[in-house]
Amino acid sequence: MTEKDSVLWNRRSVLRHAAGVSAGAITTALLGLDSASAEAGTVYVNSWGGLWTDAEKVSFYEPFTKATGIRVQPVIPLSFAKLKAEVQSRNYQFDVTNLSVSDFLRATKEGLIDPIDWSVIQKDKLFPGAVFRDLGLLGNVGGTALVYRTDKYQDGPKSWADFWDVKKFPGNRAMWREPIRVVVFATLADGVPIDKVYPIDLDRAFRKLDEIKPHIRVWYQEGNQAMQLIRDGEVDMIMLWNSRVPELIKNKIPVDVVWNGAYHANTVWGVAKGAPNAKFGWQFAEFTTYAPGQAEFARLLSYAPSNPESYNMLEPDVAKWLVGYKDNGKHAIWGNPDWEVANIDRLEERFNDWLSK
Amino acid sequence: MTQSVANGTASLERGANPTIKQKQQAFPLVLLAPCVVFLLVMFVAPLIYVIVLSVTEPRISAENYERIFASPVYLRVLWNTFQTALTVTLVSLTLGYPLAYVIARRSDWLGTCLLAIVVISFWTGFVVRTYAWLIILGNRGPVSNIFHWLGWEPPQLLFTSFSSTVGMVHILLPFMVLALLSVMKKIDALHLRAANSLGAPPFTAFRTVFLPLSLAGVVNGSILVFTFALGFYITPILLGSPRDLMISQLINQQIEEVLNWGFASALSIVLLSATLVTIIVGNKLFGLDRLWG
Repeated sequence: MTEKDSVLWNRRSVLRHAAGVSAGAITTALLGLDSASAEAGTVYVNSWGGLWTDAEKVSFYEPFTKATGIRVQPVIPLSFAKLKAEVQSRNYQFDVTNLSVSDFLRATKEGLIDPIDWSVIQKDKLFPGAVFRDLGLLGNVGGTALVYRTDKYQDGPKSWADFWDVKKFPGNRAMWREPIRVVVFATLADGVPIDKVYPIDLDRAFRKLDEIKPHIRVWYQEGNQAMQLIRDGEVDMIMLWNSRVPELIKNKIPVDVVWNGAYHANTVWGVAKGAPNAKFGWQFAEFTTYAPGQAEFARLLSYAPSNPESYNMLEPDVAKWLVGYKDNGKHAIWGNPDWEVANIDRLEERFNDWLSK
Repeated sequence: MTQSVANGTASLERGANPTIKQKQQAFPLVLLAPCVVFLLVMFVAPLIYVIVLSVTEPRISAENYERIFASPVYLRVLWNTFQTALTVTLVSLTLGYPLAYVIARRSDWLGTCLLAIVVISFWTGFVVRTYAWLIILGNRGPVSNIFHWLGWEPPQLLFTSFSSTVGMVHILLPFMVLALLSVMKKIDALHLRAANSLGAPPFTAFRTVFLPLSLAGVVNGSILVFTFALGFYITPILLGSPRDLMISQLINQQIEEVLNWGFASALSIVLLSATLVTIIVGNKLFGLDRLWG
């Protein structure tokens, strides 16, 4: 996949280079090739690769090409750093990206994202609330929740306070090395109500984290590692992306999700500043907000749609694992991108220090 | 006449010699040029860029370096990184030396089999090998089962510095063995036979003849494994405890998550300097350059 990626990159940079020289028969031939493909139009989309890109293909790329004639080429893997590199070097690998709302906000503050091109986007086709601060359009929702083995706990944990309660719920625990969510959950476990969590009192959060630290068997870094931990029973309770739970259930792993205190954040689609195919990029971004595509994506990967209309198209079996279904999101906490962007750097440092002591 | 001919020949020689010499000297340089250009473009230029970035982002100042020394975490993690790399190097050497010795000295099935095992392991992706340890040392893995079968409670193996070291040694051992092997293969067996015929018992022959001749391989292998280990972070993350945090992970975090490339550059420069200092000190203490010969 990476190989394909680099071939693609080479082709594009060769073409651009050729366009710069713009002389000689070979160049003309290359330019001819380029304009031939430009007629059909191609938009380059940064994507995670693997199952994620497969799901995007079915839900968004193929229907988009069918509707507009514009081809979609994924560029793998999704990388925040790559966005910065391509905008700084003006050497574009992709036009469109889909970042978590905090990363997206940070990207806009660094001047890596162009504001929405309203000459392209058809406002009346967007669902209410689809626009993120005039900078991008909402994608899906990623959630992180407390997940536990039902074979270990008949009467399972119901909150982050229970996760912290090692007497009532003995057993191995794992957390994700992701400081923002970790301090949010520590704050909730310490009894702060959901609407008072932000701005996070970090001293309080780290005091609470000191309590649980000896009981965390693993601080994992990777989704697949987390899946292995809970699947093999290496741990009994874990802070996990709730979108991965249906996969566990399908494999007959006895687990359940605690929706209370789950953390959710949207992804946002945006166009890289100065991207060569920006117009197609915005057309594509708009297309991803439509209900059918988002519903299809949720069916394939269990990431919740941001478009509420998508829920009307989903089977209850699929929808029940999503935050927008019935009461699932009633006691959820939503990420606060402004606080997170302002604090991520120092928080990361403090967290690394705390963790490595 | 003879004189002048002789003079002429002499002057011809004097005149011709430098040009031939120049040609002789120039030819390797021409061959070397692509490599030099490659190194300049792919290595020196980016390195200079990283140095510049470390003092210009977000503004021209030494603040990135000040921050490294202001917070305890970076120096602690750097220290831990060096300790881990050293441990991994020593363990790899201890395990790799006898292995390479057997492969180099035995040209029969045993040597071939061992070499095949080392090379196959070398070809297997390191993430795959790391995940294999997750299963082997895990709660329901074979090691744990053996303990249960013996009626003992299995010790905590996974997510410790032990498992992290085991995983890293597994990945880096082939580098050590191949580096040792390339030197050991060149040691003439006649030297050892000569030592024997002069009355040295096998171990004395090994200690006074084979070992000193193989030291260049020891140095090469150790530096290779040590520098590789310094840059490791995936394996310690997957197998180790949070205390096994490596500096490369912090650098990666700064690049990928925080987008603070100035600070990431400063951390990289500190790591690079510390590595160079270590190798220079090693050179002074053990005379590494003499061993390269």
